[in-house]
Amino acid sequence: MTTRTRYFVIVSLLVLGVGLGTGLVAYYVGLPAGVFAGRGGPDELAFIPRDATVIAFANVNEIMTSELRQKVHRALPMQEDGQRELLDQTGINLETDIDRVIACLYPDRDSANMPGAGMVLARGTFDEVKIEALMGAHGAHVESHNGKRLIVGEVSEGHPASFALSFMESGLAAIGSTKLIRLAIDLHQGGANPQTGFESVTGNEELMNLVRSLDSGNNAWAVGRFDALSSQAHLPDSVSSRLPAITWFSVSGHVNGGIRGIIRADARDEEAANNLRDVVRGFTALAKMQSGSKPQLQAMMQSLELGGTGKTVALSFTVPSEVFDVIGAAANRAVKPQGH
Amino acid sequence: MTPPVQSTPSLLSSAARVFDLSLGQMLWSRRSVFLGVLLGGPVLLAVALRVVTVLYSSGLRVNGAEAAGASVFGMMIWLLYIRFIVPVLGVFYGTSLIADEVDDKTITYLFTRPVPRSAVLLGKYFAYLVCTVLLVLPSVMLVFFLIVPTGGSGIAEAFPALLIDLAMLAIGLTAYGAVFTLVGTWLKRPLIVGLVFAFGWEPAVLLFPGYLKRLTVAYYLQGLVTHQMPQDSAVSMLLQVFREVPSVSTSLACLTAIILGTLWMAGRAVADREYVLEQ
Repeated sequence: MTTRTRYFVIVSLLVLGVGLGTGLVAYYVGLPAGVFAGRGGPDELAFIPRDATVIAFANVNEIMTSELRQKVHRALPMQEDGQRELLDQTGINLETDIDRVIACLYPDRDSANMPGAGMVLARGTFDEVKIEALMGAHGAHVESHNGKRLIVGEVSEGHPASFALSFMESGLAAIGSTKLIRLAIDLHQGGANPQTGFESVTGNEELMNLVRSLDSGNNAWAVGRFDALSSQAHLPDSVSSRLPAITWFSVSGHVNGGIRGIIRADARDEEAANNLRDVVRGFTALAKMQSGSKPQLQAMMQSLELGGTGKTVALSFTVPSEVFDVIGAAANRAVKPQGH
Repeated sequence: MTPPVQSTPSLLSSAARVFDLSLGQMLWSRRSVFLGVLLGGPVLLAVALRVVTVLYSSGLRVNGAEAAGASVFGMMIWLLYIRFIVPVLGVFYGTSLIADEVDDKTITYLFTRPVPRSAVLLGKYFAYLVCTVLLVLPSVMLVFFLIVPTGGSGIAEAFPALLIDLAMLAIGLTAYGAVFTLVGTWLKRPLIVGLVFAFGWEPAVLLFPGYLKRLTVAYYLQGLVTHQMPQDSAVSMLLQVFREVPSVSTSLACLTAIILGTLWMAGRAVADREYVLEQ
């Protein structure tokens, strides 16, 4: 065997060996999500506990400045209740202060609360002193956890879990269940470490793979574990047995002139996916047929497209801006008589 | 004084000698350029797809949904490797193992050595196998690591399927190589017959129901594939409709029988045939 033939054999075996070795490590030990693809997703995911059942993201800045938002705002100029309540309670203006938010739901085993504890991580520009003073005026008190200030709100009746806010770093506010905020601070201060029991979703490769696919090209998305949510819901057997066998579900969309999005469900097996596909196909056909008499909705209905292969069922849709003109006009018609 | 007794080397040691000689010849021949282009294609395609997914945040989309890397990889295994690269390598290399020596009029030199004729064939066949396996499998490995981590797929979940793919491709190269080695020893113009078999007979009979598909290598090889067959064309749709998948054990047993049977027949043909070289 000549030297160059020997080199060729060595290089080929090396490529095979390294590939097989890496694959075996990934299979048996697991590789950190993103070793070969970049971690993907917003940085704030590092502060969300690994067992979160739902994670949602919105690029608030992009959505607020989108043509669609301007159009909706012009058509319906009244301020949203939730937005006003957030401003009153915390002094945070959703329109000007926040760049992006990431929210999560976490199964709270200590309480019977459905759907569990929640937390919102908001990235933006905040007047920390003003917000703390405003919350103090509403009865909140300051605690310390792992070296971070925690502004704990007053527990109101009907809300057994306390509510807290913490500025985890400059421009990053965490708002939500006190228990979850404490967990997020632990993750922020100590990082994910399975030995200490603190793990973030970035270590959950299955979820991160979904997040990576959702985060590309969309300014809003949500992903959740359907089976975990349905098991927490304590539904009657007659209802739960009729639920489709879905493991993960996700919704992603891009908001600009209109909304372009995809609803995706990962079924337990291919048979369940085929069944679900049949159901969705039926509903889609019905919706398309029903929209025949409403030309404004026809474009939206025609955009419905069923896709996905194997265990994945995906329904893509486009909501053109004209649909919001119709909704705006209808809402204005409903509001005007009350004003007179 | 009695002359020293020269014992004839065994079949395997003779085949090893021929293998050593043939591997270098096979790797650094003009045919290797073709092999490099053929196997570099999927890797370049994988690099291009990866660049697209990195540059365009929306990634690679099929029907509006982002295509999972594992599905794209499965499609590449079907369309590029199983349907094209493996049969092509089998045809081009398998048919030339003996035919090239006949065309170059160098077979006499091999047959005048004190080694069994079938050892020449066996050594060359193993050289083909090592050469193609060491080129195809690393190419698949590179494609896997470039494509699979995109679109929400993970290395860990897809890894067991990769191991099956590597084994299946190695078996495919062994089977096609053995069949076309036999064609190369039997016929005078084996390349044309080989191409007709691989790209005419095999795809044609797989399209129709019936027993004829059992007279192909592709039928048994497809029984070992774990990926879903792509529905990229009308032909693929027909293949999907009439697809009759043999069990893994049946596929393995039949492929083993094909490999051993054709190699034995090729060995017999080389040993018995009288090669008359054209002047």
